[in-house]
Amino acid sequence: MSMFKDIPVEVGVIYEGERIRRNDMQVELGGPTVKEKFELAKVRPMDAIEDGKITIIGPDLKDIKEGSAVPFGILVEAAGPTLDQGLEGVIERRIHGYLNYIEGFMHLNQRYDIWMRLGKKAFQKGLNSFEPIGKVLYRLFKSELSIIEKVQITFITDPAKINEMYSAAVADYEARDAKARGLKDEEVDKFYGCVLCQSFAPSHVCVITPQRYSNCGAISWFDGKASASIDPKGPVFAIDRGEIINAEKGEFSGVNETVKKRTMGEVQKVWLYTAFDHPHTSCGCFEAVTFYIPEVDGFGVVNRSFKGATVNGLPFSTIADSAAGGRQVDGFHGMSIEYMRSKKFFAADGGWNRVVWLPKEVKERVKDFIPADVVDKIATEENATNVEDLQAFLKEKNHPVVASWVAEETEPAAEAEEAQVVEGQMMPVMTASSLPIMAGGFKIILKDAKIYANKVIIKTVKDEKAK
Amino acid sequence: MTTKNVRVKIDELKTNLGLIKNLDLSVGKIVDDSWTEPMGPTPMPGLTTLRDWDMTLLNKYKPFYMPDCDLCCLCTYGKCDLTAGKRGACGLNIADQSSRIVLIACCIGAATHNGHARHVVDHLIEKYGRRYPLDIGGLNVKVEAPVTRLVTGVRPQTLGDLDEVLTYCESQITHLLSVAHTGQESSNLDFESKALHAGRIDQVGMEVADIAQVSVFDFPKADPEAPLIKMGIGTVDQSKPVIMCIGHNVVPSVGIIDYMKEQKLDDKMEVVGLCCTAIDNTRYFDRAKIVGPISWELRFIRGGFADVVVLDEQCVRTDASLEAERVKAPVIAASEKNCIGYKNRTNDPADQIVEDLVSGKVPGVLILDPEKVGEVAVKVANRVAPIRKKMKSLPEIEEIKELAKKCRNCNMCQRSCPQDLSIPKAIKAAAEGNYAPLADLYEECIGCGRCEEACPVKLEIHSFILKIGEKNMLEETNYCRSGRGAIQDVEIRSVGGPIVLGEIPGIVALVGCANYPHGGKDVYDICREFALRRFIVVTSGCSAMSAGSYRNEEGKTLYEEFPGGFEAGGVLNVGSCVSNPHIAGAAIKVANIFAKRNLRGNYEEIADYIHNRVGAVGLAWGAYSQKAASIASGFWSLGVPVLVGPHGSKYRRMLLGREDKPDNWEVYDARTGDKVNVGPAPEHLFQTVETPQEAMVTIAKLCIRPNDTWKGRSIKLSHYIDLHKRHYGLMPPDIDRFIRTPADIPMTMKDEITALLKAKGWKESIIPDPTLLPRMIRKTKE
Repeated sequence: MSMFKDIPVEVGVIYEGERIRRNDMQVELGGPTVKEKFELAKVRPMDAIEDGKITIIGPDLKDIKEGSAVPFGILVEAAGPTLDQGLEGVIERRIHGYLNYIEGFMHLNQRYDIWMRLGKKAFQKGLNSFEPIGKVLYRLFKSELSIIEKVQITFITDPAKINEMYSAAVADYEARDAKARGLKDEEVDKFYGCVLCQSFAPSHVCVITPQRYSNCGAISWFDGKASASIDPKGPVFAIDRGEIINAEKGEFSGVNETVKKRTMGEVQKVWLYTAFDHPHTSCGCFEAVTFYIPEVDGFGVVNRSFKGATVNGLPFSTIADSAAGGRQVDGFHGMSIEYMRSKKFFAADGGWNRVVWLPKEVKERVKDFIPADVVDKIATEENATNVEDLQAFLKEKNHPVVASWVAEETEPAAEAEEAQVVEGQMMPVMTASSLPIMAGGFKIILKDAKIYANKVIIKTVKDEKAK
Repeated sequence: MTTKNVRVKIDELKTNLGLIKNLDLSVGKIVDDSWTEPMGPTPMPGLTTLRDWDMTLLNKYKPFYMPDCDLCCLCTYGKCDLTAGKRGACGLNIADQSSRIVLIACCIGAATHNGHARHVVDHLIEKYGRRYPLDIGGLNVKVEAPVTRLVTGVRPQTLGDLDEVLTYCESQITHLLSVAHTGQESSNLDFESKALHAGRIDQVGMEVADIAQVSVFDFPKADPEAPLIKMGIGTVDQSKPVIMCIGHNVVPSVGIIDYMKEQKLDDKMEVVGLCCTAIDNTRYFDRAKIVGPISWELRFIRGGFADVVVLDEQCVRTDASLEAERVKAPVIAASEKNCIGYKNRTNDPADQIVEDLVSGKVPGVLILDPEKVGEVAVKVANRVAPIRKKMKSLPEIEEIKELAKKCRNCNMCQRSCPQDLSIPKAIKAAAEGNYAPLADLYEECIGCGRCEEACPVKLEIHSFILKIGEKNMLEETNYCRSGRGAIQDVEIRSVGGPIVLGEIPGIVALVGCANYPHGGKDVYDICREFALRRFIVVTSGCSAMSAGSYRNEEGKTLYEEFPGGFEAGGVLNVGSCVSNPHIAGAAIKVANIFAKRNLRGNYEEIADYIHNRVGAVGLAWGAYSQKAASIASGFWSLGVPVLVGPHGSKYRRMLLGREDKPDNWEVYDARTGDKVNVGPAPEHLFQTVETPQEAMVTIAKLCIRPNDTWKGRSIKLSHYIDLHKRHYGLMPPDIDRFIRTPADIPMTMKDEITALLKAKGWKESIIPDPTLLPRMIRKTKE
């Protein structure tokens, strides 16, 4: 591989899944036994960066005791005319991928959780300094991210220096998260679209906004921005947001135009903040699905790893099947877990006030983002496994949806009507010419009747009320 | 649900609704049409229904014939010489004749699986009734029978529904076989199209058999954590009575295991198996043990390990009974398809049969009632074990030395050996007291026994090899994961993202039997290579056993090293031969789950989807039966490429794409209707490879599909290039054909490849929404 001729080990994506066991490791950088470690990317002004510079602060790899674990930090500083601070997270996450391409080097986790191992074999082959590791990072950053014009990389193993930089890095992560979560759809003029999934679901387009992650949970607005600027003709592209047609439902003129074009007219209009009328479409790899439960006028949520039946009796696979395939299905909505942390999460439908059931595992994950006054009113599989129990639970907790029930309870009971339908079904089709005799309120007397049919077809009678 | 011939008679019925007197209602057929999915264009296709699709594939991948025999001897006009373009007495040329043999092989394979399915389904219906519900994965499997839905348009819910599906299959096999009669079809491509149809029918038959047995016998249901099963003769407790089941049909074994459990003998005896019965036994009873694949029948019968040998159907050595008689192990033939000339004792009292077998009055019996097989096998094993344990089955080493001196050095053994092993040298060395060459043969011999047949002085060469290898043989203790059955819908959904983003570069299925020197090790090496590369590795049958027969540097077998889920780096055993449709089914479900394409009777559209989008490749390593031909054919028909080892050339033809012809690689872009050249992806539909290294390079390449996202393509190419460089020592010469946009270039090889593209005059192209079917071109809605 000519690009890495001077690197003592191989570099390639095929080493990505490589694991280095304790016995095979030369040295551990960061990891569970080390308290302070970090990796951080910063965007700097052009003149503050010396392109290609690699700095090592503290002992280099060859000077670290074999088999030991040491405090560790990586600082990647980049500059480029179109780079801004919003892309720091995107640049930073590349470190994980790139380092794993190095034969005999393993990188796990991110930010202040990083855990790396250098294998003995790679060390013996000559990978005994951070210098070549820095070169690999440098070349891959420049090769993949054309928006980076200059980049310099610093490795830190000096505990005092790490201690100094660590708290700053943690403050940086927090500020970045707060900024990302605080960014509102109304405040930006570009959204991003993703058609990666069209390779399998040809009519699906994901719309990614600051407040709406891609359905798969893998692409944030910042990721979209980075991908689109690197490869504007690629599968992730910018959408001019356009006019706000309906702020409550989340309708934007630019989104409508793009979706219409990219689905070849299959989808004409998208409302981003609701599960009804014109909901966002779903591909197949969404992390969770929201499903409307008419009996309680609220939403259930189920994620991929939930085993068993949800509160409406259907498992994830069946509910997911109702949403998939790039279609707009009223009341069914595939989504990312991250979307549940957004203020725009089904905002037009009442947001969390409309959610009545979700798996415990999901609830734990997003608990901090559920308004305090409703969090205990949302049932999990521990509170309700069927709609009757759910109704009782919601009533007992006085969930916000209960308020909407009052009006409905005065409506005539549906049972009488249903009973008639059942009677109709009980009468078999009895004419040779396939004309059904509908029975409803009159008597039929059959005497000495002989009825022969070549074929009787039983169809599910569609319940008109369901619509 | 479909019910036939319903008749209701009511003399008098008073209800609120009305009065009914002397009502006689007769219905020819009741069809449950509550399945709301609309019927596709080709439910229950006949011989020519999918001919257009077949011709599309056969035009893209033209048959290349390699006749194994230049004569036709099928009728008495012949033998006809078909060399040098000559036609025979009936008018067929060698291409027609070769394709005709392919069709016949596929018909035999399809008939075998469908016959197997018919036996299982009829038996289960008789025992449990037509209404017994099917359940192959509970809530996690919504599409219970993807192949059956796709081909027949039937959504089977009960055992009775499977009966109807099989009736359709049986009619098709009859028609297909009739095509091979003298003076029927006359075009090789039409023979080939029919072979593809036989493959489709075969897939349905296998699926029916497996979902029936999974549902009724409560096999692992789409379970990624199906139990790890002890494998190898070294895991068998020789102090206990041993029942050895050989073949493919689990029904008699169920009779044995049930009877053992009933008598509380299940921990006092050993039930072991060879070939697919072994795998299915473990799906029913996790303390059953797998001894090994098909090729080791001779080894383990002659080794004298079995106290009773139970033979069912398919791939059973036809001299297995003679071998069992040599070691005085009573034989029970348990299949109407393999009666071995034994007297049918089905209706005799069990104890009388036991007496006849124990006393040695008869060497074997035919029993067609699985429960009686169970009782007789268990009783006989317990009675004969104490006597048999004292017997020796193999010659002593000193005897071997003496016997070897009889060798005349005629070399007939080596000439008859399909692997050309150096047997004469080993025998000569043994005569001189050097047994090392014989020990080497133990590692390489596939146990066919042809050497003994050829020996003019009747040396039991295979016994010699076994004796010298005995120590190794007894140390064989490994693990195989029991057959998990189907792939969950949820698992498929979970890999959607990783496949789109290229984190999973492809799906490799290793099926069939590795009947080849070191074939088992090759299978292991290939599985491990691709599991480490984060592909999804699927196995079944004898390949699943071979995959578990070796260990890594930490002493772990593949199934201990890698997870059993349908995920990056997973190694799955779906089950026995009849479980293979779960592999095709996974590909079919991708279309259903991600694109919401209807499956019901919609074969062509789904095959087109799979062919252009799902990066799956099949590999059958070794030499195999007609069943393997029909299994492969079922995959070709779905557009999934299949690789075979060196012996695969004896299938008489390959299906090869022409890399050098650009128009071979045009697809429609469904978005625009434009024709787009997508390069040779996948390059061939059926080809042989000579070495495991060549197989690895080719597998990586055959996972490439026209729809790949740039991320997916760049990762697929990284693997292809890496394997090619590693095994051939250079960059693949055709790499430019697979790069559509600069983003496809693997990031770590940018400089090298960019220079190469420049030198080749490469031009940027687009990533289309690929299809081979003009009708799939979408129209823009206003």
